[in-house]
Amino acid sequence: LTTRRFLSLWLPRLATDRARRLGGVDKRAPLAAVAKIDNAQRLVCVDAQAAQLGLSLGLSLPDARARFPALIVAEAEPAEEAQLLTRLCDWCSRYTPLAALDGRDGLMLDISGVAHLFEGEAALIEDCRARLSAQGISVVIGAAGNPRAAWALARFSRMRTAPEPLSDKAFVKLFHDLPLAALGLDEKIVADMARAGLRRIGDIAWRPRAPITARFGAVPMARLDALKGLERSSIAPRFRPPDFCAERQFASPIQTVEAIEVQLRKLADDLVVLLERQAKGARRIELSLYRVDGAMRRIRIGASRPLNEARAIVRLIAERLASPNEDVIDAGYGVDLMRLACLTAEPLAPSEAELERAHEAERARSLAELFDRLFARLGARAVTRRELIDAHLPEQAEAATPAALGEARRRGAEPPAIIEAAPARPLRLFARPEPIEALAEVPDGPPLRFRWRRVLHDVTAIEGPERIVAAWWRHAGAPTRDYFRAEDSEGRRFWLYREGLWGRETMRPKWFVHGLFG
Amino acid sequence: MARLRRAIAEIEAEASRPSERPARRLPFARAFDSALGGGLADDALHEIAPARPQDGAAAMGFALALAARFINHRPASALIIGEGFAAEESGALYGPGLVAHGLTLSRLVFVRAPDAALALWAMEEALKCGAPAVVVGEIWSLKGYSLVASRRLLLAARKGRTPALLILASAYGQAERLSSAAETRFEIAAAPSAATPAAAGLDLPGPFACGARLIKARLARAGPFVDAVDSPSKDGRPSERPMDGVHDQRSRLQTHDPGRVIRLEWRSQDMTFKDMTFKDMGVDDQAISLPLAAASGDRPRAAAGRR
Repeated sequence: LTTRRFLSLWLPRLATDRARRLGGVDKRAPLAAVAKIDNAQRLVCVDAQAAQLGLSLGLSLPDARARFPALIVAEAEPAEEAQLLTRLCDWCSRYTPLAALDGRDGLMLDISGVAHLFEGEAALIEDCRARLSAQGISVVIGAAGNPRAAWALARFSRMRTAPEPLSDKAFVKLFHDLPLAALGLDEKIVADMARAGLRRIGDIAWRPRAPITARFGAVPMARLDALKGLERSSIAPRFRPPDFCAERQFASPIQTVEAIEVQLRKLADDLVVLLERQAKGARRIELSLYRVDGAMRRIRIGASRPLNEARAIVRLIAERLASPNEDVIDAGYGVDLMRLACLTAEPLAPSEAELERAHEAERARSLAELFDRLFARLGARAVTRRELIDAHLPEQAEAATPAALGEARRRGAEPPAIIEAAPARPLRLFARPEPIEALAEVPDGPPLRFRWRRVLHDVTAIEGPERIVAAWWRHAGAPTRDYFRAEDSEGRRFWLYREGLWGRETMRPKWFVHGLFG
Repeated sequence: MARLRRAIAEIEAEASRPSERPARRLPFARAFDSALGGGLADDALHEIAPARPQDGAAAMGFALALAARFINHRPASALIIGEGFAAEESGALYGPGLVAHGLTLSRLVFVRAPDAALALWAMEEALKCGAPAVVVGEIWSLKGYSLVASRRLLLAARKGRTPALLILASAYGQAERLSSAAETRFEIAAAPSAATPAAAGLDLPGPFACGARLIKARLARAGPFVDAVDSPSKDGRPSERPMDGVHDQRSRLQTHDPGRVIRLEWRSQDMTFKDMTFKDMGVDDQAISLPLAAASGDRPRAAAGRR
């Protein structure tokens, strides 16, 4: 059994820390964040100085003001705080890929097997605390062999680290004096148990399980088992850990784009070595830049065939950065960690098969490379394939799919196009049919001449009407369209339609040009 | 003047002659094939411009018909690259219509570029890569399209051995004045289709038809004995007009009358152009464009309707 280690990061002062980070708050004055609870403004977060003054959470604002007129108050903004927490979670992926959000004020990191990279667990905790406090975030960190214990230690204990493996004696010492709330139970259950005289974890740990389960439900005992590490627990990380990843830390942060590019090339070389060992190629790649000030930037690229050349990877990232809808890299105060991760890897095609279809494969390969370059510069949605859909409304009769999906999936034989039997369809279709003034002999007859874009067209040949009605169960009340294929005296062919049945749906049918034939 | 022109053509031919196989030429319509040295080169840039403002759809129809022939010739994907504005101005290409025009939808990849510069960039990349059967481009803004830009496309087409068809959607009326490195340039006008009489009222319109004019045909690379016929003659130069029954290949290649409008009808079922100019004259037998492998035959009798 491998030992696992979890860190629970508790950010008790997230709201006030956020307000201070925004600036404009006097550093020496006590600060509190308030929110409206039950129609009263109450303190929901106090900073260290306010806490020293004896202000506690839940105190109403007028009371606090009466006691300390110098108190500065900021409005709590849960959405912004959640966003900050998410950013911090991203930032924490510098320690481990398994970082997860934990409630509204905490993070959970699975650091199994990564502590030695930071010279031990204690050093890692110290490093994390120092870096976060440099950003103005105060944090309490608990470490234990399971998430539940780490959570309890961070929030309820003075001893923040539980040894692993945990002996019974050590468990008694660490946990038996903690309140039952440290099990993460509902307030109601805690209150019920307090009424029965059960206040500390030790009170239930020595008792027979059955009566407690019978009276308070299965949750308390299940939580206790989790705390002891008897239950296998895991966390739901914000990002799946990458299959392959190469990273570099810099003692002094690098600030120029050129330096970042040089490092990128080295990272790509490292990554390719890792991939080559398993004869795999990268399909999705992510470059992460961790800035000193806690910001982080992710750049993701996709490849339509497994890549295992460093040059190709670097070129794709460069294309992406050159694309007009991508922000330029802002190194800010400097980047102190770069990571190039392969999110999805696929085995390279076996060489025999490639020899057989050398020519075709070469062509498909260069086509895939071409698509990648086009995606990177124009965006994946600009490069599409289309397929026909059996729909009545002309504008719904085709669907575009990104060409990124690759050809392999659509090798199936195309249904034979029945040209003669199919009704005529135009080469070009206006996304928005253009209104025209048309003159017809009778209101429900074909047009004789019409004016489109200020030019008068005399109709010399015409085919129609082809009546197209929208599906009535979906578009109730949509007017009927009568389509005509009209040729004017100059030889131009138009696809016109009249909207609305004369006499039944409308007295003044409207005319539109919907498309142009070649 | 003619001598200078010839000298320039020779220099260009010398400079750009690759030591590889000569371009394969795809015949498409009898009236043009001889002037083009056998057909459209499959490693060059061909420009297509509408004749009048509302002939854009006809120009696109002509280009797509050529593309369908190229795809038929080499089974691979084709790229259709368009400037976004062109699609807004004259409608987006419509899948069912493309199928009806004779194209295989699964072979087509559509690329939409935000501006002409990026569309040209995408075309160049696609041509260089060499995998597509044909690259069709449509640009609206001509600002960035210069001699240099067209030369880049031509070199890319030669490098990747891929034909490029470029539609200059806003170049109506300017087709004779443009200067570019393209090998051929067509001016396309809409033409009345072969209508079928209806039981009552107006006739029924027929399949796609257009009037095509070959404005430019640079043949510098066709062979050692060939001269270039480049810029159009302003006065129509009657001395260069082809004479009936001239069988000498050299003179046939040299001469083409840029003023002549050929009316073509596209048959999407068998992917051939039908020359309606001859039908009007009652010479129907040789009017259909040749199957791909056929050699060039005699020049058809061409006392065609001049504009």
